[in-house]
Amino acid sequence: MANYAMAFDYKLCINCHACEVACKEENGIDLGAKNHRLWIEEEGEISGDFWNLKRDTLTYTQMQCQECQDAPCLKACPNGAIYVDTNGIVRLHKELCDLTLACMKACPYEARYIDERDQITDKCIFCADTRLAAGETTTACQITCPAKLRYFGDLDDKESEISRVLQERKHFTLKSELGTKPKLFYLE
Amino acid sequence: MKIIERSRRKFLQGSVALCVYATSSFAFKEKPQTPTNSITPYLCNMCRNKCAGFARVENGIVKKLNPNHYFPKSRNMLCPKGNAGIDALYDSDRLKYPLIRVGNRGDGRYKKVTWDEAYEYIKEKLVKIIDEEKDNRSTIAYCNGEGFNKNEYIQFFGSKIGSTNFLDEGSICLNTKLGATLLTIGDVGEMDVAGSDYIIISGANRYESLITPDSVDMLHTQQKLVVLDPRCTVTAQKADEYLPLHPGTDLAFCLSVIYVALQEKLYNKKYVEEFFQDFDKLQEHIVKNDYTPEWAERKTDIPHKKIRQIAREFFSAKNPLYYLGRRSVWSQNDFQLRRAMVLINALAGSINREGGIIFGAPIRLNQEEINEPLYNASEGRFDLDGIVYGSQKGGAWLNFREKVVNKTAPYSIRAMFIRKHNIMQNMPNISKTKKMLEMMDLVVALDTMPSDTVMMADVILPECSYLEREDMVVSFNRLEPSLALRNQVVKPLYESRSMQDILKGLGKKLAKPLFEISAKYDEDLQESIEEMGMRRAYREGGYDLSELYKQDISERNRKLITAQFGEKVYESLKTKGVWYPYIGEESSLSNEYYEYYPKEKRFYTVPRDYKVHCYLKKLEKNGFDAMPTWHNSYDFSIPKEHFRLITGRYVTSTQTATTNNIVLKEFQEQNYVWINNVVAKELDIKEGDALVLSSSLSSIVIKAYPTNKIAPQVVWFAHGFGTASAELTNAFGKGASDNEIIEDKFEKIYGCATMHETNITIRKI
Repeated sequence: MANYAMAFDYKLCINCHACEVACKEENGIDLGAKNHRLWIEEEGEISGDFWNLKRDTLTYTQMQCQECQDAPCLKACPNGAIYVDTNGIVRLHKELCDLTLACMKACPYEARYIDERDQITDKCIFCADTRLAAGETTTACQITCPAKLRYFGDLDDKESEISRVLQERKHFTLKSELGTKPKLFYLE
Repeated sequence: MKIIERSRRKFLQGSVALCVYATSSFAFKEKPQTPTNSITPYLCNMCRNKCAGFARVENGIVKKLNPNHYFPKSRNMLCPKGNAGIDALYDSDRLKYPLIRVGNRGDGRYKKVTWDEAYEYIKEKLVKIIDEEKDNRSTIAYCNGEGFNKNEYIQFFGSKIGSTNFLDEGSICLNTKLGATLLTIGDVGEMDVAGSDYIIISGANRYESLITPDSVDMLHTQQKLVVLDPRCTVTAQKADEYLPLHPGTDLAFCLSVIYVALQEKLYNKKYVEEFFQDFDKLQEHIVKNDYTPEWAERKTDIPHKKIRQIAREFFSAKNPLYYLGRRSVWSQNDFQLRRAMVLINALAGSINREGGIIFGAPIRLNQEEINEPLYNASEGRFDLDGIVYGSQKGGAWLNFREKVVNKTAPYSIRAMFIRKHNIMQNMPNISKTKKMLEMMDLVVALDTMPSDTVMMADVILPECSYLEREDMVVSFNRLEPSLALRNQVVKPLYESRSMQDILKGLGKKLAKPLFEISAKYDEDLQESIEEMGMRRAYREGGYDLSELYKQDISERNRKLITAQFGEKVYESLKTKGVWYPYIGEESSLSNEYYEYYPKEKRFYTVPRDYKVHCYLKKLEKNGFDAMPTWHNSYDFSIPKEHFRLITGRYVTSTQTATTNNIVLKEFQEQNYVWINNVVAKELDIKEGDALVLSSSLSSIVIKAYPTNKIAPQVVWFAHGFGTASAELTNAFGKGASDNEIIEDKFEKIYGCATMHETNITIRKI
């Protein structure tokens, strides 16, 4: 029983792809660039001419399921296949999914992809059926990151590192105007 | 069209029917070998860096590689390549069986043989060659590109078999940097990135060419970072100050930084007084040549005000560090460029102290003793002829190859043993390497993958990957020294063997026949035989080539470690993969990031009698500059309609070693040539256009990536692509090889290839 969330010290990212590979290996994601639970979004670009470049216009944003507390995918699924587990993670009853793709269309973060092997829509679940199921308390992306920019933990535990960092530092959520109440936080 | 440098997510949105069922590398892993579950500490080998990890094995299959938080060096992280190590282990293109060539060299026709047949074939060829060369063992050249087991490999072919011709990657990588540091302050040292509050980096790309702990420390330390580079790399993008400049002109920048330090008396006077030799000569030289920031601006295109500002900031910082880089063979001035960097550090007093080049206290491991035979007929090495210093250990590749190909070597090189060293791709002018290999009577390759070089071999001996073997314990680092052990995670797949097992079999096969050749030619040995008899002369003379392998490696490790450090250290290495005095007492700094040595226990400053040598007399005697000096020939000038080619790599690849990796190729399947966007527009070159790049040597075809992140007269593309071996099914035919067109020039101080001196033309197809 926990209320898992993640916070990103996102400006530290060097786009090295370690998190992406670690996630694929840990969770047995099918090969193919289109199949992935998380990715790094390059936003903006370095502007100007070579001798006078403006470099802070390019940022790397860690993207994955935002673990909305008011999840559009959950509401959209006609089969009731999507639920929130006891750890506060948005999950899928695989046997109920028949690929209506309603969840994919509803998701404002493009967090889901089609898992061809299991014939379901898949997304990040904080390594719930791999690491967390085995008693680990870290996610694959978090532990491998050279910058250690991914904080993962229990929001209900006020002593947890993520609770502490969210108390201490300013942060924002993506597309907060949609009212989805994400549990992924980006630290200023 | 955006084909690179972009997230690849967004082309999904189609219907299910449009999605192609991906071939899964995981399918292979479903076949269990042995029903075992385990967590084993291991050391990574996806690059030369060596980070520590724990491998999780389920039902005999390696399922996940995780970082090892006990290792001070790798600071609890694994990079993308480290994570993809599983796919190197289970790469279906791996060399699986010993093979003997049946077709022409390079045409890929081999027959599968037993290990004994492979050894027998090598023996027959080698006995004939060494007999014909009258026991000159140096007719065998041997080379190695992998960090682990290198010394043991040298022991086998050098100490035991008796060849002097060993070559490694140093002369196409970092020997100028190592040599410059050694000759200036008496030690190669180690850079304390974490302890520095101000870092200048010339060219090194620590955020795309990850090195632990340096890259990690840069991410976790509050410091000012200044980057000089003719290309806006991720490191440059993330820097506090990015100073674009012309390729090969970093030395001008360094000279003017020294000028400012001397002229404005910013240097650490106390340190200079105590440690510098020939400081007056340096001062006179810099001032006399008028290496002002204004002068340097004309060479580099970095504004003089900026140079002065950076120099002043550097010398007023508490612990400034001019970062020396790693792969450092760029241009003719490279040795003196690295010396200038060391001298800048020294002028600031950043030697043997926190945040500088530290000497530290590496843990010295005892060596196993072996009995080395003496071969009177073995000739000395020739690749350092004409080189002022050079590495006595790893030699100078381009000079070696030149002398072999031109037949100007004092004796013939007739056989080559090549271990995990892709010489067909890793040094400039591939056709010359091919010519050299074609001249050999015997080429043997020990490798895991069928690289372009392996496909030139007569005999291929499949070596297992790093996850399938234990290696001898290794000592790491100087500031926070530790021992680390590569434990065996799973048994070797197919018929592959560890290097030790390969050499053991080869040694058994070769020992007696080669001894007999020595007995035929070597008068000293003949005398010994007369005195003590054949058997004793063989045994006591050290002619048993597999002597080192009488015990298996885990037994050798156990003996060596327990004898020197005791049982507890051995147990720590077997269960945690690492040992250092404070293991288990790491304090968490934040979020899975740890402090290893308590600060007061780190070896920032150690007692050391040394001097800073400004002036190297030996260089002067040989007609070279004794101090860092600019020559007009170093000026950046490009013939009309030409571009300067520079090279580097992507964060997801280690030279040619990883381009076949099925997961890593998703990030960078081929390389693209970076060309300035304004220039590209003038030439009507768009992203993805096929371009012909031509140098005086050859031409290649590569796709274009126009960008504002590179200087107008410069083009860049990553090394490691353009594989010619069709056996590497993922890498074959993808992208282009830089060494097809890089001209094979080398500097004469260390005999290092100068990789950034080739001008090319571009034609759109």
